[in-house]
Amino acid sequence: MTEANVGFGDASLWLTFLLIGLATTLPRASFIVLGNRVVLPAVVQRALRYAPAAALAAIVVPDIVLVSGTFAPLNPKLAAAAATVAAALLSRNPWFPFIAGMGMLLALRMALGW
Amino acid sequence: MQPVFSPSFRAGAREGFLAFLPLSVGLIPWALVTGMSMVSVGFTPLQAMGMNVIVFAGTAQLGTLPLIAIGAPVWLIVATALALNLRFVIFSAAIAQGFRGMGTGARWLCGHLLTDGVFATCIEKMMRNEDRQWRLGYYLAPSVWTWLLWQCFALTGVLAAGSIPKNWSLEFMATIALMLLLLPMAKMRPMLVAALTGGATAVALQGMPLRLGLIVAIFAGIAAGFAAEHWHGKRDSGRAAT
Repeated sequence: MTEANVGFGDASLWLTFLLIGLATTLPRASFIVLGNRVVLPAVVQRALRYAPAAALAAIVVPDIVLVSGTFAPLNPKLAAAAATVAAALLSRNPWFPFIAGMGMLLALRMALGW
Repeated sequence: MQPVFSPSFRAGAREGFLAFLPLSVGLIPWALVTGMSMVSVGFTPLQAMGMNVIVFAGTAQLGTLPLIAIGAPVWLIVATALALNLRFVIFSAAIAQGFRGMGTGARWLCGHLLTDGVFATCIEKMMRNEDRQWRLGYYLAPSVWTWLLWQCFALTGVLAAGSIPKNWSLEFMATIALMLLLLPMAKMRPMLVAALTGGATAVALQGMPLRLGLIVAIFAGIAAGFAAEHWHGKRDSGRAAT
């Protein structure tokens, strides 16, 4: 990734922050502010539970299995992802998955020139 | 002269703070990683801390960074943030009763500060205690503490990231963080189905213009999770009617 500029101008970046902020505060405040005036149907509540998992996977999975747009299951990022998951399952230390994942990625990229 | 906060507010604040303190340590790595990740996509320290103050949500910040980095359309970034934040609608509905008797200003402030950890810590006593002032203190003390920790350690991450060489691929820290958020969710079967469907759909549709595939993938994941829950519920019928 190249540094600086982010693909956005400074003004539109701040506007984007404001909109993401709204998209965060409005769901958080929704029922706390509305109180008992509105009740969310149970079906909708249950469906909404799956949105974060679906969104997180939709962001993460392409990042670790695609290399410049093509499917490449053997790549350093996927190996690093596997190390991260293994570390998270084996240890309760909150830092360990970061150390394992970054360590794997850097080892493969630098030492092996992968 | 009256003290600014009533005795019952302060009693609630003390109790809420002590209940939350051990949990709050877990925020530190997230704030550091979020700070570093924002710098890794090219934000200046001012932009990074601006986002940190305005958005104040690790998942939404980390989740939108890859999209901001590639210059995705703003509506898509906002829609993704909304999807990542939908759980707060449920938290908000669940804890709303705890704010009974409070004014609109206090409710907006408390809503803005609603986080996963504070929700989990406060919901039970917020329902039971009858003293409005006590409840407000009990909720606000851990919330303000979360806010302070989040800003301080994100700033630490922002400043530290500048002294780390570019070829260390720091941007991968955000991916690791997102995986760690996903992992505990994926322990539940329908949630795992939602995640697998979302991930696979996103990969299959990654060629779609404007990264529209991401939105399709999120809807596909929600539908698959919902379907899996129904199927699961029917199979061991009776008790799984929740």
